[in-house]
Amino acid sequence: MSSQTSVPYRQRISQLSARVQDYRSRTADRAILMHAVGIGSTVLTFGLFMVGSDWTILPFLVLLATVGFGWRYYQSELAKGLTLLTTVATVVVLTLIIGFLLLRSMPAVRHMGLDLLTRTSGPLWSSNQGGVYALTPMMVGTALTTIIATAIATPFGIAGAVFISEIAPRRVREVVKPGIELMAGIPSITYGFIGLTIVNAYFFDAFRTPTIGSYFAAGIMIGLMALPTVVTVAEDALSAVPDEMRNGSLAMGSTEWQTTKSVTIPAALSGISAGVLLGVGRAMGETMAATVMLSHTKGFPAPPFDVFSGYGETLTTVIAFEGGNASGIHLSALFAAGVVLFSMVMLLSIGSQYVEWRMHRKLGGEQ
Amino acid sequence: MAPQNRRSSRNVSRRKFILGAGTAGLAGLAGCTGGSDSPSDGSDHTTNGDDSEAESSGLDSSVLTADGSSTVFPITNLGSSYWNSNPEAGDGDYWPESWANEEYGTDMRLADFFAKKYGYEPTGERSNPPFRTSVALSHSGTGVEGVMENRVDIGDSSASAEAELSGSGNEDELDNFVDHVVGVDGQPIVVSREIADAGIESVTIDQLKAIYRQEITNWEEVGGPSREILALGRAEGSGTDTAFRNNVYGDPNAPISPDQRFGQNQQLQQAVSQADNAIAYIALAFVEPEGGTPPIGLEIDGTLYEYGENLGAKEYPLSRDLHAYTWKDTSRKEAAFINVLLSDFGQEVFVRGNDYFALPEDRLQSEREKVAASKYT
Repeated sequence: MSSQTSVPYRQRISQLSARVQDYRSRTADRAILMHAVGIGSTVLTFGLFMVGSDWTILPFLVLLATVGFGWRYYQSELAKGLTLLTTVATVVVLTLIIGFLLLRSMPAVRHMGLDLLTRTSGPLWSSNQGGVYALTPMMVGTALTTIIATAIATPFGIAGAVFISEIAPRRVREVVKPGIELMAGIPSITYGFIGLTIVNAYFFDAFRTPTIGSYFAAGIMIGLMALPTVVTVAEDALSAVPDEMRNGSLAMGSTEWQTTKSVTIPAALSGISAGVLLGVGRAMGETMAATVMLSHTKGFPAPPFDVFSGYGETLTTVIAFEGGNASGIHLSALFAAGVVLFSMVMLLSIGSQYVEWRMHRKLGGEQ
Repeated sequence: MAPQNRRSSRNVSRRKFILGAGTAGLAGLAGCTGGSDSPSDGSDHTTNGDDSEAESSGLDSSVLTADGSSTVFPITNLGSSYWNSNPEAGDGDYWPESWANEEYGTDMRLADFFAKKYGYEPTGERSNPPFRTSVALSHSGTGVEGVMENRVDIGDSSASAEAELSGSGNEDELDNFVDHVVGVDGQPIVVSREIADAGIESVTIDQLKAIYRQEITNWEEVGGPSREILALGRAEGSGTDTAFRNNVYGDPNAPISPDQRFGQNQQLQQAVSQADNAIAYIALAFVEPEGGTPPIGLEIDGTLYEYGENLGAKEYPLSRDLHAYTWKDTSRKEAAFINVLLSDFGQEVFVRGNDYFALPEDRLQSEREKVAASKYT
């Protein structure tokens, strides 16, 4: 047992020492010193900052001076160090945020137990009885708005991408493609405001929905917001399909539509699915538009797919709407909502990576 | 400014505090009045602490200080600003003819006129009232504590001293507080235009409770048209939401289920005017009797509380009194200033002008009696 594990361990040690020797032989002594000073001053800056010292500025100035020195004499070594530093910083910051989220949601988890995620009987969200906070209705709300948004964004997005990439004349494409990309840059509150003043009012006046605003109206707006993401990514995937494949198909006598349907779309499917999943991720995390459009009451529509019911709250909107007033267990429950949302989006992201990897394997390196 | 005062005054005497607050107040004033105060004049006022009250007139003319609730602050602060400016009768903006001459029949300056009733000599000068006033901004609890520890003369509080002191270990000091209610903060009940036009003029408190519990869901049940009720509320856990539960249901945690919740009065106002079946409680500034958010009355035990009539009454549940507490009786100086806030002029300009309810006539009379000038002659 011990010999089995010690061999690769020893191997790893020798590999590491070989790399260290390689680094030393390829790097000037002064550059090595620069790296050491840079790392030391960064760690010191961070440490002093965390304890709130007045002297944080000193190691930070040392770091700046080191960077200035490196820029003058050892640019390539400096680039190596700085890019490593920014990567490490990104990972550390994100880890700290996740850790903070988990830490702050612990009181709610301890208080509510599994009920936090599974409770379906009232009260669902109340300061009464020592505080009852169940995220279940909000998870249903997020699921409903996301499904509606996806149902809108997917067909429209894919059809739009196919048209722009395969059917439209060049001139139209050159205008429409940047136009759609611009749409992705419209701030979400603008969509929300239109949803609030026009879509909500329309559904309320025309169909007498029980409240001003429903999952359906919010889902439509969120779907429209996710649309540019889907179109852009799917279009990129379609136009990345090599012309040789299209030409081959056309040479065999198939029509343009047959080529698009049977060759181009299947070949680009991984990119298209990535686009759809990105759009779904955006829909799930959408906050501003949903916050101004939904009714902020918590409960389960009956039947669960009644998207016109009087209830309206998602994981994002409850955080945005109540974050300012919350304290104690209530605040912790909002952090828990953040964790649930974060996990859902992460699962989706992993799912999209997996789909992409499967497609890649299935279709081979055609892209 | 306020927190700093609070911190520093923990360990210093009241006299030092007054000196500090007064100097700070004067520094602010000097900025406004273009330096018309000579420094020596200012120091005369500020060095008159408690122990040197025996001036020529024998009256305490040191700076009157107040601190506390941000809700009461607009009233006392606006009153203080008017007082310090001591505008002449006929100053169109601050002490207009219509008030000075027609209402009070005086040609004296504002602070001079009100202070004279309490025996202060009129100064006859702008920006030089018989005594200065300075109002700081913090929280109800700080105001109550400040007046109890003699740091300030008047403690502003939007909750009763009893509520602020509960659990602090100082409950036995309650008898030393003198309560002066200077105005009322409240929220009328409003409905959509169509509902008001259909003849709904009031609801009873029991109907209101049932509406917000989804036990009454149609306007027909309260005498209106056959239409669903859209009950609008405020964000869960917000101060307004908690106050509504506490005042209407008697329990800050009472479970209520409005149809829709909003974060701000503006959104609430928009929703009420957009819908034709909504009911809501909304801040006074957002009520439009002729517009989209007409107010309706609330009936409790046979008494009807109506907008523009008696919403400042103590029994109206969607309201809270705005207090100006004094400590162990009310001094001449404190009485003179509180009297301005309670005057018809003060109620109109400082209280209604800041979108609060003026006190109804009977409460006004009893509050005025507490600070009546006749007690100080």
